[in-house]
Amino acid sequence: MKTTTMAFPYPVALDQSLALETAVPAAYAAAPVGAKIIARQVNFFYGEHQALFENDMEIHRHKVTAIIGPSGCGKSTHIRIYNRIYELYGEQRASGEILLDGENILDPAMDVMELRRRVGMIFQKPTPFPMSVFENVAFGLKLHYKLSKGEMADRVEEALSKAALWDEAKDILRQPGTALSGGQQQRLCIARALAVEPEVLLMDEPTSAIDPIATAKIEELINSLKSKYTIVIVTHNMQQAARVSDFTAFFYQGRIVEFGDTQKIFTNPANKKTEEYITGRFG
Amino acid sequence: MADLVLPETPTKTQTWRQGDVIFRWLSRGCAFLVPALIGGIFLALLIYSLPAIKKFGVGFLVSPEWNPVTQEFGAASSIFGTVISTLIAMLLAVPLSLAIAFFLVELAPPAVSRVVSTLIELLAAIPSIIFGMWGLFVFAPFLQTHVQPWLASTLGFLPLFQGPPMGIGIMSAGIILAFMILPFICAIARDVFLLVPRTIRESAFGMGATTWEVMYKVMIPYGLVGLIGAVFLGLGRALGETMAITFVIGNSHRISASLFAAGNSIASTLANEFAEATEPMYVSSLIALGLVLFLITYLVQILAQFLLRRLYRSWSAGL
Amino acid sequence: MKPRPPIVRRMVNGVVSGLAAASALMGLLALAWIFVGVLSRGVGALNVDFFTRLPNPPGIPGGGLANAIVGTLAMTGLATLLAVPVGMMAGVFLSEFGQKSRLADHSRFAANVLMGMPSIIIGVFVYAILVLPRGKFSGYAGALSLGIIMLPVVARTAEDMLRLLPNTLREAGLALGAPTWKVTLAILFRAAKPGLLTGILLAVARVSGETAPLLFTALNSPYWESSLAGPTPNLTVTIFNFAMSPYPDWQQMAWGASLLITCGVLALNLTARFFLGEKHS
Repeated sequence: MKTTTMAFPYPVALDQSLALETAVPAAYAAAPVGAKIIARQVNFFYGEHQALFENDMEIHRHKVTAIIGPSGCGKSTHIRIYNRIYELYGEQRASGEILLDGENILDPAMDVMELRRRVGMIFQKPTPFPMSVFENVAFGLKLHYKLSKGEMADRVEEALSKAALWDEAKDILRQPGTALSGGQQQRLCIARALAVEPEVLLMDEPTSAIDPIATAKIEELINSLKSKYTIVIVTHNMQQAARVSDFTAFFYQGRIVEFGDTQKIFTNPANKKTEEYITGRFG
Repeated sequence: MADLVLPETPTKTQTWRQGDVIFRWLSRGCAFLVPALIGGIFLALLIYSLPAIKKFGVGFLVSPEWNPVTQEFGAASSIFGTVISTLIAMLLAVPLSLAIAFFLVELAPPAVSRVVSTLIELLAAIPSIIFGMWGLFVFAPFLQTHVQPWLASTLGFLPLFQGPPMGIGIMSAGIILAFMILPFICAIARDVFLLVPRTIRESAFGMGATTWEVMYKVMIPYGLVGLIGAVFLGLGRALGETMAITFVIGNSHRISASLFAAGNSIASTLANEFAEATEPMYVSSLIALGLVLFLITYLVQILAQFLLRRLYRSWSAGL
Repeated sequence: MKPRPPIVRRMVNGVVSGLAAASALMGLLALAWIFVGVLSRGVGALNVDFFTRLPNPPGIPGGGLANAIVGTLAMTGLATLLAVPVGMMAGVFLSEFGQKSRLADHSRFAANVLMGMPSIIIGVFVYAILVLPRGKFSGYAGALSLGIIMLPVVARTAEDMLRLLPNTLREAGLALGAPTWKVTLAILFRAAKPGLLTGILLAVARVSGETAPLLFTALNSPYWESSLAGPTPNLTVTIFNFAMSPYPDWQQMAWGASLLITCGVLALNLTARFFLGEKHS
């Protein structure tokens, strides 16, 4: 039985079975207002093994979209297509369409390096580069822009402020990035990504490797950032998804089972599988 | 602070893409250089030894002649010396290395183990010519005055220990070679033993096995692949060792059954005679010797890789 | 079932353990014997003259090996300049681009073979391609053979050190829009710096004590040479020549040079260890 499940912004029709065929309703195929990224019929393969099946997704401008699901359901795999970081690995490939402001990013003609400037990524484990705090943040700036020393210092300060790290870092700018604590390192990575003025921030389980206090700081940060940036956050922590996001997508075995307003998903999920996951019956 | 606006700049991605292409090809070229060198070495050796090969044929390999006057050359004495000195070295070094590795991993307290390991590894760093110097001026005389006469009097009935004790010769060459390859084999053996998972060791001890039994029945079989690799590494090093051997082997082209006798190895012959060889056939024969050594070394490597691969396969199949 | 008497097993264990400890002791004694031997015989030769003067004809006291010291340093330095960039790039290929590549497999195998190749064969090779055609020995040929010996060591070290780095580091760099070459040079090399430097230092240490490859490439010279274009004085071949000579004062100089080389090589090794050790702690 085919029905559509993707809709904007509430789930439209529901399917109790798991093998869902998701199809983009004609209504919003015409790029509705508010969609920053639209994924259409995206499939993903690790060599011969298919990991994502006909994903249709919408990421809304200036909102936080959370992606939840049990381990191995494809949530990280999905967002890693948005900046084509999977291309580092030869045997991984994606098919389908992903429109960023109307342009298909999977098109080979797309400028990958510019794409990656516009779509930044924060990884699960903080990855400070082997250089000073200042140089970490300046790295992306030096890549994409020609700035004077003074301008560079200003941008670095701005980025660190946006990442709520300036006060803690301003006296230790010359120290190696690795000298910071775990939570600080992750905010450093966020500052690094913010420095180049991205439009989208992809966060792949950004707080799973950090202590709870630092986690709270980062969640606060996400809240403050969403007015300027579009944020997609993959998380296995449902409470975090409920706290932080406006929309939530539930992935299961490479398919998007349900997508919609976070409040609705968590209080009154339409799909049985979603409900089972949220109530902790599996995953 | 008010939001700063970043300036409009043209993307650099065109030049970067080209940079990436250049980078890939540059690294590819450098990687290619390595096998190219091996091929080049083989070709150069082959080309220059052709005259000798043409003149002496396959008999070159078994002929014990080596006469620069009559221009009759054969590799037998050199191959013999290479093989025998290597054999002595391996017979001495392998058990000793395993014993020392056993000591370092199981018996010694951690601090002692660290210090001794470092010292053994420093032994590996000592250049070959230093061993040669020491061998010629210190060790060989020591053998001559203290060891060889004793051997001659007790085991002199064996053809191995007959003839005048000169100090230098096959025996000292073999022993010094053993000293040289011992640290290599020992370091790898130690690393191999350290890699055995703690749980396996502990369950063996838990069954009441003695330390030696754990080593012998559990750790050595577990690390067999790595140990074989270590042995082959030592073998390769021993075959090609030049300066230490050149100083003490005596540079004689006679094949003798006695360990006290002088002899030569392929490498020592090259070292001693290459500079003085003027006649083309002499040079070509020397290079032919080099070709033989190259092929022996290459074969040892292939054998090592092949064996290791087979052992890995049977290992993982068993798991 | 007749069990093996535990007393026998314990005895065997004791004997073997004793032998193992004795072996370790023997290894240490050998090291001490060698080092003391070199030290005692060489220290007498190391005076100011040794480091500043040219070798005298045998029988005339004084004289030194200043030219040989400079020659060794020059050739080792040139060899390093040749081998390090090429080796690093080869290591980059093997680690970053060569996962499924046949070239990478061949290259790795060839590197192992080259590392196990007797250094005298490499000397013969360079003699054949550089000395014979031009009809003269040169320090450049010597440096080339040393460089060829260093190359596979640097390449494999670089590959191993780069492979140790987590993939997230690469991804983080790429995710900012950096090209691969920038990620490798600016991020990966910096992250692997201690290991890379250690590898290079050890390669330099190994090569600075080599004699065989210089025997028919750089030869030797008793004079100050202004360039590497001809026979170049160096410590190792000098040791060989002087030691084999019948003159005691030359033999004494050979010991001095031996001591110098031993100390230099040991110093490089300990420094390299210090580097790596520092990073680990």
